[in-house]
Amino acid sequence: MADQAAFADDAMQYSKQLYAAAMRMTRNPSDAEDLVQETFLKAYRAYDSFTAGTNLKAWLYRILTNTYINKYRKAARRPDEVDLGDVEDLYLYRRIGSEESAEASRTTEDRVLDGLVEADIKRAVESLPENFRIPVLLADLEGLSYQEIADILDIPIGTVMSRLHRGRKAMQKALWEFASKRGLLPENAERP
Amino acid sequence: MTDNDCVDTGAHNCDEALERLYEYLDEEMDEATADGIRSHLDGCSPCNGGFDFERRLKVVVRERLSEEVPDVFLIKLRKALDDEAAHR
Repeated sequence: MADQAAFADDAMQYSKQLYAAAMRMTRNPSDAEDLVQETFLKAYRAYDSFTAGTNLKAWLYRILTNTYINKYRKAARRPDEVDLGDVEDLYLYRRIGSEESAEASRTTEDRVLDGLVEADIKRAVESLPENFRIPVLLADLEGLSYQEIADILDIPIGTVMSRLHRGRKAMQKALWEFASKRGLLPENAERP
Repeated sequence: MTDNDCVDTGAHNCDEALERLYEYLDEEMDEATADGIRSHLDGCSPCNGGFDFERRLKVVVRERLSEEVPDVFLIKLRKALDDEAAHR
C-alpha cells in the first residue's frame, strides 16, 4: 500500500511526460492541462490502492489514457476503431534513400531528419486515428514496453505490435508529405 | 529498393528481418533472435540502411515530441494536490 502523503513527491516527476502525451491526445494546451490535473487527482485519491514499488509511471499512464478515452472521445463522438490502409515497410526510407550513391542517399536522409521540425512530427502523430495514436505515443514518446502498453490499453500484446507497426508507417506517410512541402526531398523522388 | 536488391544472409531473409524491424529497434526480442537479425544486417546493405534510418527516425520523433510544460501549470497542479490533501 502506497503512502498518500508521498504522492505528490512520487508522481510530480512524471508531470512533464504526461503533459506531452496529453498534448498529443487532446491537441490543445488547455485540455491537456485539464487532463493531466484530473489524472493526478484521480491517482491521488486512489493512491492507497496502488501497490508501492510497482510501476507508478505505467499506472499514471493507465489513468491518463482511460480518462482521455472516457472524457474526450465521448465529447468528440469519434468512432472507437478506425483502420489504416496498408503502408509498405520502410515507407520514408524507400523514398529518400534511393539516390545513385550511398553518400547522396545519406545526405538526403540527413536533410530530411534535420529538416522535419517539431510541428511536423507532432502533426504526423496527431493525424493518426486514436487507436493507433495512443500506442505510438506510449512507445515512441514514453518508451514504454509492449507489455506495459498492452496492460494500459487492455489489449493483447499482438494487437499492440500490429498497431505500432501500422501507426508508425502511416506516420511516415504524413512525414513524407511534410518533407516534400518543405522541399527536403530530391527532385526525382515520387510526389505524394 | 526491391526485394531483389536484398541478400539472404544469416538466420533471416529480408522479409523476415523487416517483419521484425520494430521489435528489434524497440528491444523487444531475445538476444539470440536479435543476433540473427544483426547477422542478416551485416550481410545485407539495403536492409542495414533501412534499419539504420528507422533507428535515427525513432530518436528524432522522440526528441521532437517533447513539450515545455508551463511553470504556472506545474504550480497550479501542485496546489490542486495540496488542496485535495487539505480536504481529507
